[in-house]
Amino acid sequence: MTVDPADTHTDEALVQIRGLTTVLGGRAVFDALDLDIPRGRVTAIMGASGTGKTTLLKHITGHMRADAGKILVDGHDVGALSREELYALREGIGYLFQNSALLTDYDVFENVAFPLRQHTRLPEVLIRNVVLMKLQAVGLRGAARLMPSELSGGMARRVALARAIVFDPGLILYDEPFVGLDPVALNQILRLISTLNRTLGITSVLVAHEWAAVSRIADNVALLATGKVVAQGSPQAIAADGSPWTRQFFGGEADGPVPFQYPARDFAAELGFAGVAP
Amino acid sequence: MSRQRPASSGLVAGTLTQIGACGLFLLTLLAGIPRSGRYLRETIRQIWFVGAMSLTIIMVCGLFVGMVLMLQLYHVLSIFGGTSAGGMVVALSVYRELGPVVTALLFAGRAGTSITAEIGLMRATDQIAAMEMMAVDPIAYVATPRFLAGVIAMPLLCCVFCGLAIFGGHLVGVTWLGIDNGTFWSNMTAQVDLRTDIVNGVLLKSLAFGAVVTLIAVYQGFATAATSEGVARATTRTVVASSIAILALDFVLTAFLM
Repeated sequence: MTVDPADTHTDEALVQIRGLTTVLGGRAVFDALDLDIPRGRVTAIMGASGTGKTTLLKHITGHMRADAGKILVDGHDVGALSREELYALREGIGYLFQNSALLTDYDVFENVAFPLRQHTRLPEVLIRNVVLMKLQAVGLRGAARLMPSELSGGMARRVALARAIVFDPGLILYDEPFVGLDPVALNQILRLISTLNRTLGITSVLVAHEWAAVSRIADNVALLATGKVVAQGSPQAIAADGSPWTRQFFGGEADGPVPFQYPARDFAAELGFAGVAP
Repeated sequence: MSRQRPASSGLVAGTLTQIGACGLFLLTLLAGIPRSGRYLRETIRQIWFVGAMSLTIIMVCGLFVGMVLMLQLYHVLSIFGGTSAGGMVVALSVYRELGPVVTALLFAGRAGTSITAEIGLMRATDQIAAMEMMAVDPIAYVATPRFLAGVIAMPLLCCVFCGLAIFGGHLVGVTWLGIDNGTFWSNMTAQVDLRTDIVNGVLLKSLAFGAVVTLIAVYQGFATAATSEGVARATTRTVVASSIAILALDFVLTAFLM
C-alpha cells in the first residue's frame, strides 16, 4: 500500500476528509469538517493558533483517531486500517514535525538514513548517495556528521525536511516548515518544496502562518476556524475574499469571528470590579 | 453532604491501575519480540548500554559487600570458634540473597532510571511519534530491545557481583584475618549446591529481577507525561516501584525455590 505521486497536476483528491469531528478536553476541535486535498498540488492549511492544524495532519496519518467522520488517503479509510496497513500507508507519507523530532542518538546522516535503513535493503553506497543528495538539497551536506544537539533550530528543521523527503514519498505533510529559517534558507526550502511538487508530482500539505511564503508556492489554501474550513481557494482568491474570516486572519485583527481571547469569565469580574465594563 | 472517598482508597486504586496497565504493556512487549528480531544490532547496543556500562558500579559494590560481610561474620563466628565457616556463609548469603537482590537494586538505580529517562525524553521530544510516522514500530525498535537487554544483562551482572563478593570475602578473611585458604574454599564448595544456590539463587532470581526492573523502566518511560516534570516523576517511580517489586518478588521466589 503506497501513496502514488501524480504524473501531472490533477484535481483528483488524494486526501478526502468528510464530516471529521474531534473533541479534545471537552472542546470540539473539528466540527463535521470537510476538506479535499488535490493530488499533485501544494495545499496550505492556515488558521489561528489552536484551530487544529497540526491535529488535522495527525488525523491524516492515522496518528490520532477521530470521534466521527472519515479520512480517505489515496482511497484508503485511515480509521479502518489495521496497524500493518497503516504502517504500509505511512511508508508513502513524509512528515515534517513542528519541533523537528530528530533522533538524538544519531547524527545528521543517520537521521536522514533512518527510514531507508528501516524499510529497504539498499547497499550502503546507495544509501550514502541518497542521503548526501537530500542533505545537499537542504544545504547541510557538510553537517552530515554533526549531532542534533549541535544544530540550530533552523538547521534541525532542514535535516528533518531532508528526512521527510528521503523516500520521495507521494504525500508530504509539513508542519510549520518555515519557522526559524533565515531568508536564504527560507528561499531554498520554498524552491525545494516547489521543485518536489513540480518534478515528482508530490502532493504537499503545508501548515504555516507565513502568508508571503505560502502565497508563493501554494496552489490551494484552506483557512480553518471554529472546527471547519471557513475559506478555501487559490492564494489570490483567498487574498481577494472579503469574508469576515479572511479579513480578520490576514488583517491580524483581534476583533472578528474568531475571538483572540481564550474563553474566560468576565475580565472585570475576575479582577474584582463587578459591574465595571471591561 | 457528599461522602468523600478516603485518599488511601484512591492510592490503592491508582496503584492497581498502574499494575494492570504494566501487565498489559508486558503482553505488548512480548508480542513485539518476534517483530524486534530485525533490530538485533539495537538489542546488542542496549546490552552494552545497560550491561557493560553498569559493570563498574556492580564490581565495586560486589567487592565491598563481600568484604564487609566477611568482616561482620568473622567477629560473630569467632565467638563460637567457627571462623573457618566464614567463606561458606559468605558464599551462601551472596548466592542466595545478596547477589541477586543488591545487583537488581543497583541495576534499577543505574540502568532502570536511564532507560525511563531516555524513553521519556524521546516521548517529550516527539521522537517516538516520529518513528510511528516513519512506519517504525516503537515497541519493536525501542521497548523490546531494552527489555531483552535487561533480561540478558542482569544474570551476567549478578554473576560478576557474586564473583567480586567472594573475592572481597577472601581478601578480608584469608589475606587480612588469617583464615586458612584451603578451609575457606573447601567449606564453600562442600556446602554450595549448583541447583539450589547457583541456578535457583543466582540465575533464576536475577533473570526474574531483570525482567521486572526493565519492564517497569520501559513502561514508565512510555507512560511518562511529555514534560520535564513528567520525566522526573517517571524516573522516581521507576526506582520506587522496582525496589518494592524486587524485595517482594525475592520473598515469593525464595519461598518457592528453597
